[in-house]
Amino acid sequence: MHLYRKSIVIFGIIIPVMAGAMLVGIGFFIRSKMVASFDAKQKNYKTYEIGRIAGRQIESEVERLHQHINRWNSQLSQETASTVTTYLREICEHLPSKEIQQTAFERPSTKSGFGTISAQNSSQIRIAFRGTYRTIQRAFLELETRMPQLQLQELRIDPSSAQSSLLNFQASYTAWER
Amino acid sequence: MATLQHPGSLKAFQQYGQACSILANSSRATNPAWYQDALALNLQLHIRVDGVDVSTFYFDRNKNLWKNGPDLTPDAIKYPAKLSQFIEEAIQYARSYQATSLGVILYIADEFATTELKPDFDHSLSLSDLRNTAIADPNSILEDSSVVATQASWRVLPYAASGSNIIGTTVTISTRYAPLMSMLREAGENENFPVVTHALSAPLIAIMGLSQTLKPTTNHPFVAILQYPWFTALAFFDDAMNLRLIRSLQHHGIQCPTHLCRNALVTTNASLEFIEPDLFLLGLGQNINATQETHLRLAFTNSRVEEVFFPLTHEVPTWCPEPTIASQTADCTTSLVSNTFMMLREEKWAFQNFLPTPNDIAEIYPARKEMQLLRILRFARVAIFTIAALGIFYLCYRAIELMRRPEWAFDSTRAAVIQDRLTQLSRERKKSDYWNNLLEDRSKAWVSMESLSQMFPESTGILIKTYSQTVKPDNTPGKVRVGFVKEWKLTGHVRDEALEHLNTLNTREGISAHFSEIARLTGNNSFNPGIGSRNLVVNLRTQENNSYKPIPPEEISDTDESTYPFTFDLTITQRFEATDPLAISVSKAP
Repeated sequence: MHLYRKSIVIFGIIIPVMAGAMLVGIGFFIRSKMVASFDAKQKNYKTYEIGRIAGRQIESEVERLHQHINRWNSQLSQETASTVTTYLREICEHLPSKEIQQTAFERPSTKSGFGTISAQNSSQIRIAFRGTYRTIQRAFLELETRMPQLQLQELRIDPSSAQSSLLNFQASYTAWER
Repeated sequence: MATLQHPGSLKAFQQYGQACSILANSSRATNPAWYQDALALNLQLHIRVDGVDVSTFYFDRNKNLWKNGPDLTPDAIKYPAKLSQFIEEAIQYARSYQATSLGVILYIADEFATTELKPDFDHSLSLSDLRNTAIADPNSILEDSSVVATQASWRVLPYAASGSNIIGTTVTISTRYAPLMSMLREAGENENFPVVTHALSAPLIAIMGLSQTLKPTTNHPFVAILQYPWFTALAFFDDAMNLRLIRSLQHHGIQCPTHLCRNALVTTNASLEFIEPDLFLLGLGQNINATQETHLRLAFTNSRVEEVFFPLTHEVPTWCPEPTIASQTADCTTSLVSNTFMMLREEKWAFQNFLPTPNDIAEIYPARKEMQLLRILRFARVAIFTIAALGIFYLCYRAIELMRRPEWAFDSTRAAVIQDRLTQLSRERKKSDYWNNLLEDRSKAWVSMESLSQMFPESTGILIKTYSQTVKPDNTPGKVRVGFVKEWKLTGHVRDEALEHLNTLNTREGISAHFSEIARLTGNNSFNPGIGSRNLVVNLRTQENNSYKPIPPEEISDTDESTYPFTFDLTITQRFEATDPLAISVSKAP
């Protein structure tokens, strides 16, 4: 008796269980492969998204500064002394000539101030004026606004010995260059 | 259902296929009757054959109800066509009776013979071993070595009497009714209706039934004389009502010859040392020799001779008591108590099946546990594959869900492109940041002049003589960014009323408030003192003016130094740390 037991156990239990397990196993294997592939894609996608968002921010920042950069590049590529001279002439033309007189313009060859510690190219200029306080301040405002590369190194103000209403101004700048 | 083969001749997969086919095409898994004993089923068909008559009865076990069965003559048993009709009628009746199975019990009352056991086995084997061996290998236990195992069935009948020299004997019945049993079973298989057969020896059942009929003399041996049409069985019981010996006398076509019976009784009583035992005569056929009792009374004058009748039950006649005896339960049958009667009924020695299903046929069908296992496995398999299908469906759903997300369709080369773009933009921004840092408004002349004018407005009693501002970077090698120091130095003259203003500037709060105001007015962040990386220090020194000449107030001139009673020397130092936003990048432009 029980001659069928072995075949029932083999074909009724073991093989269906193995087939089911194999089926589920294959399913999970494919799923794990898909999940791994998806994780990799998701990682790339996240990198892409983060990069895209960060890029958009940087791009807006760069675009915001772009017009300034172009202007800076244009200015920095010009020779500093001649630019200063040109701008000073233009500025002085619009100011009362009795209240502003350029008394000196020098280009010291030795670096000083910020120029000594930075690897960036720079040059030194020294300008001297005689004039009234507010007019000279206005001239400095014009010049320093037009030329942001000018970093004031030294400023001296002394009363003029000849005319009591006028003051002597001496300013030294470090001018950044490309 | 395809022709079934013995599983031994099949390969494992074919065996499984055949088992599944049986499961699918038969009720073996759901109807337990296939595996029950015929006498345990509710509806039973009892057939008694005594050589002269064939009696059939239906018995409803639950209702304890007897009915006459279909007609069957002794000759009809020999013709399969007539048997088929009989079997078909029986199954139809069972179906119409709403029965789920039919138990067919055949009482063989037309032959009865005994074959002695080998003396070697009288005590060497247990009775249960002998019982099994008689079925499986009768030649090994029978004294007569010439018997052919396929032509008859042997079943052990134990002698329970104490002091008996032999353990028992075997009852022998030929296999001539095996085709009838086989046809009944096959009809059941074909109809997918359980027909369970059981072939009993009618004399054994009758002997078992003596316990409710006889009233022997106490502590006195007795002999039961069972008169069947074709033979007479003599059962010798000792004074403890235990069977000592059973004999059969064949009639050889005539009614029981009285002298044979008398001689057998005399010789056997003598051999068993029975002295004047009670003689109980039972007529178990329609035309039994009615003179037997008279002859016995004359021959055994000192013995108690009594004719005994089984009680009439329902439709079953009194000369045909075996069906009612066999169908009775143990608890309602015994009036005489002895080992023999207990063994015959409770140990079922009287119920031994003389014509069971042959092993090679029975083994074709899976056992009950195998059928149950197959049925459970069928559900389990459906469950497993349903779960697997659901699992696969879920996995597919998840896969589709994954594939529908934008990440799945994303081209990984785009990440590299955006990374390149990001690198390029970062470089651009670095360059922008670099120049933005270099061009910061960290040191402007016009702002310093505004600071001076705000610090000392006109006509406040202060005259500035000299003003200087220097800006010096920290020379710390190896740093990416370096801080710087801005220093303002002022000298001048001050009147009494302006000293308080100077002293206010000489405090941290005073100078900070001034720088904050300048930062607000000019928008120049370098004057903002609220950043932690900046440090603002002020130092004021005042002295008496040696050239001071007191004059009336109306003559005082703001530009006349001799009208100021004090001179002052003011130094303001603002330090920017390397961590300050205005600290200078020392590298070259990227």
